[in-house]
Amino acid sequence: MNVIIVGAGNLGSSLARKLSDLGHRITVIEKNPKLVSLLPRGRVDSGAMTIILRDGSTGPAMIEAGIADADVFIAATGKDSLNGLAAQRAKSIFRVEEVMTAVKDEGARTLYDSLGITTINKASIAADQLVALLGEEK
Amino acid sequence: MYLVIVGGGKVGAPLASSLINEGHEVFVLDHDPDTVASLQRDLGMVATIGDATSVRALRDAGASRAGAIIATTDSDEDNLAACQLARTNFDVPRTIAVAHSPENAELFDLAGIDLVVNATDLVLSNLATALPAHPLIRLMPVADRSQELVAIKLPAAGTVVGSTLSELTLPYGTKIVLMITADGRSKTPDADTLVEAEDEIFALSPANSTAELWEFLTELR
Repeated sequence: MNVIIVGAGNLGSSLARKLSDLGHRITVIEKNPKLVSLLPRGRVDSGAMTIILRDGSTGPAMIEAGIADADVFIAATGKDSLNGLAAQRAKSIFRVEEVMTAVKDEGARTLYDSLGITTINKASIAADQLVALLGEEK
Repeated sequence: MYLVIVGGGKVGAPLASSLINEGHEVFVLDHDPDTVASLQRDLGMVATIGDATSVRALRDAGASRAGAIIATTDSDEDNLAACQLARTNFDVPRTIAVAHSPENAELFDLAGIDLVVNATDLVLSNLATALPAHPLIRLMPVADRSQELVAIKLPAAGTVVGSTLSELTLPYGTKIVLMITADGRSKTPDADTLVEAEDEIFALSPANSTAELWEFLTELR
């Protein structure tokens, strides 16, 4: 699948790496050159992963990333509102089938659910895993 | 009406002040402590520090009883998020947002923001009225630069509109070589050719009278 990821911080870069391991075609949009260095060099050199150094919430950056052929769009920056804007542009302007966004504020979930955008909340996933682990130790 | 304003900066602060003067109850959310302190100094206890893209801050600001939310920060994404969260979580009936980039303005409309104020469009439309809307386009110099081929688009309300070419007193030496109508038809100019609104006129003009020609053809009634 063609996957576009906006943001190459902790979440974005590990997503890019894991999805690339599974054989997906990854394009990462990130405006900070320092964060781009977290991405696997070899994958980028071999062309399995593409980096676009721009603000990923804008239409021109998405077009450069090949959004017309994207199957999945993931907004994974550290800023909820920027993710929301990018995800909505991908969904309602570019009509990407599967759009996901990282959120920190659980209260934003209702909003994105109503828009057909899948939310990923790192903190609540981590909490669920910890609770499950503790449950096993009982 | 109770109004929540997001962002107390260049737009938000004067807006809050004028809405208060009109008798509205206003509350401003801003993430910057200095901005909030200055609002409190000028307007009283009508501002607090908070991130309007978080549901909790909106709740604390009383979004559930607000008649409208007006998002005026410098950040388009924050303006969109604040309005959408206020509507989804607190049923705020009217959402108003500033969009700085035109492409975001389009997205805001699609996202159902009730009123989108596009800052760039406002500036551009103001500038457009101050700048010549019917420029003189210099296409090429001819005859050793003693003459120029120029294109001039006529204003709809120009004094020359409605005349035939023989009725125009063009600057000495000027020859109109081609005319294109607003809908793209070309007219071969002769004495009886009618000058219509928004025609584009291609003329061969002595190099020193192109400005005079432009003034003549774009003069408004």
